[in-house]
Amino acid sequence: MNDQVGGNQKRARFQALCQSLRPDLLRFAFWLSRDRALAEDVVQETMLRAWKAQDTLADEAAAKPWFLTIIRREYARTFERKRFVTVDVDELVAREEPMLAAAEEQDLAEMRAALFKLPDEYREPLVLQVLMGLSTAEIARELDLSGAAVLTRLFRARKQLRVLCGEDTGLDPEE
Amino acid sequence: MMDCNAYRRAMMADPRDADPRLREHRESCHDCNLFTERLLKFESRLDRALHVAVPADNVLPLRAEATPALRLPNRRGWLAMAASVLMAVVVAGVLWVAGPGSSLAADVVTHMGGEPDAWSTRTPVLDSELEAVLRDTHLRLSEGAGPVSYAASCEFRGHHVPHLVIQTESGPVTVMVLVHENVPKPVRFEEGGYRGVIVPVAGHGSLAVLTRGSSTDIKAVEAIAARVQGSITWTGS
Repeated sequence: MNDQVGGNQKRARFQALCQSLRPDLLRFAFWLSRDRALAEDVVQETMLRAWKAQDTLADEAAAKPWFLTIIRREYARTFERKRFVTVDVDELVAREEPMLAAAEEQDLAEMRAALFKLPDEYREPLVLQVLMGLSTAEIARELDLSGAAVLTRLFRARKQLRVLCGEDTGLDPEE
Repeated sequence: MMDCNAYRRAMMADPRDADPRLREHRESCHDCNLFTERLLKFESRLDRALHVAVPADNVLPLRAEATPALRLPNRRGWLAMAASVLMAVVVAGVLWVAGPGSSLAADVVTHMGGEPDAWSTRTPVLDSELEAVLRDTHLRLSEGAGPVSYAASCEFRGHHVPHLVIQTESGPVTVMVLVHENVPKPVRFEEGGYRGVIVPVAGHGSLAVLTRGSSTDIKAVEAIAARVQGSITWTGS
């Protein structure tokens, strides 16, 4: 009886954890894939895998990187299955216009379109840092890179993004 | 001594980097200070741009054996997403308290937009700085609230109020001590990329506590608000 109550409580806690993280996980998957439908599929599969593997999450404080790892693996699996060949960024931007548009602020829509144009290797660490709040060390662990490599990618990501957004880059540092 | 190029490279890699050498350089270099201001505005825009709207679905059932039911139809149409967003708005309208507090929440959120750099530092402020900010509001804050990484006295609705950023287990949270603003009961809000709560403080107005984004559960925000409230000692009326 007590075991059943404990199990239910544990599952309820895990469910609450999933639901609290889900919005940002969906956003992460969207920026990773640049495809809203694919992002939903990936997060859905991630939640299922997480649900089945919840006993392997020893510390709830580490839930975010744990989910991110599952999402990245799931995305890679999807990518392998579908064998995407080429990506036309303008087509992607047009297709995802409803997601990218922010009617109230044109500059946000421009920023989102610019993010779509960033190479994957720059966009992903940037999203992990800004959206998911990961530290440089956490990003390095997630992407299997050195800290210095992460910082270089983050620097280049912002540098390219600022140019794409038409920012005044007169004070920006040299490469 | 760090040079300008190294400073700007470091900031463009991580604008939240609280390395004291960066702060020292910024304070001594006019151009780098200007560069930082512009970069932080850009960063705030980037942060908002990344927070795209997402559908509000309940994904996981409580019982593990029900997991097959989780498999929603894939590639749902945009209409379905719009419907779920609409549903979320309706539900939110029912669940989230409206009324006088709502416009107060909107003003708090608007105030956040004016100080995006408040979130970016993690270095605790000096005790003397914190005391100076809190003195006019006649309160002291004990260490139980958590490390305070930003403290300023801000103009808000015609009064100067303490605006603090406290580092917590859920990341940085902003606290505004609103002794001139009374709310009859706790007000939850979620707008403009912020999630928070305004709680009444008997005899001392209210306290606004908010986080960026929506990754922190509202109950966690409320727990932080309660902890901060419990860490306040009022030293006068």
